[in-house]
Amino acid sequence: MALDALDPITAARVVLVLALLAGALFFTFVSMTGVIRLPDVYARAHTASQADTLGAGFGLAAVALTLGWQGASVKTAILLFFVFVTNPTAAHAVARAAFEDGNVPWTEGDERR
Amino acid sequence: MSIADVAVAGGYTLGDVLLAGAAGFVVLALGMLYRAVVGPTMQDRVLAVNVLGTNTVVILALLGAALDEPTFLDIAIVYALLNFLMAIAVSKFTVERGGVL
Amino acid sequence: MANDRVVVPIEDTATLRSTVAHVVGTAADGDVSAIHFVYLAAWREDDPRIDDRRRTARTLLEQAADWARYDLADADVPEGTVDVETALIAEDVYLFGPRQYADRLHEYADAHGIGTVVLDPEYTPVGNTTLLQPMEFELASTPLEVREAPVDRPSRRERLVSEITGPRFATVFGGSLLFYLVLGDPTSPFDLVTGVATALVVAISLSQVSLDHDPTLRDSPLRLVRGVIYVPFLFFEIMKSNVVVARVILSPSLPIEPTMTRMRVFVGSGLPVTTLANSITLTPGTLTVRARDADLYVHTLIPWAREGLFDGGLERWTRFVFYGREAARLPTPRERDDCAVLQGPDADEPMPFAATDGGREEGLNGIDADETVVEADADETGSNETDETEDRR
Repeated sequence: MALDALDPITAARVVLVLALLAGALFFTFVSMTGVIRLPDVYARAHTASQADTLGAGFGLAAVALTLGWQGASVKTAILLFFVFVTNPTAAHAVARAAFEDGNVPWTEGDERR
Repeated sequence: MSIADVAVAGGYTLGDVLLAGAAGFVVLALGMLYRAVVGPTMQDRVLAVNVLGTNTVVILALLGAALDEPTFLDIAIVYALLNFLMAIAVSKFTVERGGVL
Repeated sequence: MANDRVVVPIEDTATLRSTVAHVVGTAADGDVSAIHFVYLAAWREDDPRIDDRRRTARTLLEQAADWARYDLADADVPEGTVDVETALIAEDVYLFGPRQYADRLHEYADAHGIGTVVLDPEYTPVGNTTLLQPMEFELASTPLEVREAPVDRPSRRERLVSEITGPRFATVFGGSLLFYLVLGDPTSPFDLVTGVATALVVAISLSQVSLDHDPTLRDSPLRLVRGVIYVPFLFFEIMKSNVVVARVILSPSLPIEPTMTRMRVFVGSGLPVTTLANSITLTPGTLTVRARDADLYVHTLIPWAREGLFDGGLERWTRFVFYGREAARLPTPRERDDCAVLQGPDADEPMPFAATDGGREEGLNGIDADETVVEADADETGSNETDETEDRR
């Protein structure tokens, strides 16, 4: 079956899945860039918790949309909710551990990279 | 019903595209592995491994959809739970007397 | 202040005994001539079981007074130097917000020539967890001197564990059973039986740590609904700032200005503050590093995100989710002067480094001294009962 021979709903789903996948890859790429480029653990935690959560969210939404209405996509929804709750909590725990270890956040002019 | 076997372009199905997306995630994960190896602090490594874990969850879910294996999603859920636990536990025990959470 | 009189509003808390000991301690040093324990009645004349509540209040007052007399005798303070008095006040009005509490206390203090209020750090009248800080806030606008008794709160470990009650047990049991069945097959008898067994184990072992207020049929579903309303807004915020932050991170010059900031929030403890902290972290550019009582220490990546944070949109939304629309009307943290930058050229405050013992307030005490207080209409209406919805849904 080619894309233009499909009924409009399925075609829209396919297009949406492709768009979500592209979004997922883009934001995960941002996350990776941030984790590599940013100067200290706090700044890295930003992208690790946010861009990555959004990337994972888009990816999981693409999966749910591909699977359609069945039990497995309920699991994907649970996974989505779970990622959105736990990712910031984990980032908070890591940042707080760094803070309690006495890690001074990097500011402009700091040599450390 | 799944639409993974709908052809998208050039004879490739949506499942193939999802597989390619998963491959893209693997490449990005390699970039994050750099931070996990280099550090420099323990927290940097934990953070990188946590991000890697989230990536793995997405890869598992994408594979599950592409290969029509819904059981992969169960593994993904367990992996997400363990990943969260890992981040909390390591953060807690690398700080003296465990003040985190 | 040799002839200062002190008023202590009391409630049945875990720290009441040590608060009394602290007050008597200052009295024994010769600073205080009278200690008044007051109980602010949180009921109306036509409330049910009012006699019981009045009796409980009087018993508690007597108890506090007895402790104080005992401690005074123990500290060899000659009899008659320090008066200990008790009073049950505000029975004629219905108190519903921190300002009412503060006003009543002020009236009482005026009538008895009292100049100082000592607060029990755990003082939360009517079980309202959001009341103490707003009340301190209101009291600060009166001529009274306000102190919080520097007593150790019970350690977190103890506070985390609470009693198992019916609603809590039912919520945890229902939540875990639902989760189990969604992962499995709700129609198969095998899954039902194993699910019930598993949920029972979870409920018995975890229902005393997973919730700290009883869920109710009236408020908890309402909060769920408002939480659902909150999701699209939060998602929009996440998208918006993700795009901004993505542009910053991908631009070759990496124009970031990371700074640590502090923001005092009025959302109450437990689940509300967790929700707020997680929302702040989820919104790109801001990351909650520590939550210490009402103070959130937030690391911000770019000035744009910092401005957004100080506008307090997420704080108002959190208040809306947990306490309803009335409570969401609140001045922004910037208007309240409740935010501070801790790093960089415009730093207002020093960095509060925690001792590595995961520690308490040391190093933080000096900070709040120059806090200017703004007239804030922070009436805590609509937050009469603080109960929590199950995090797991």
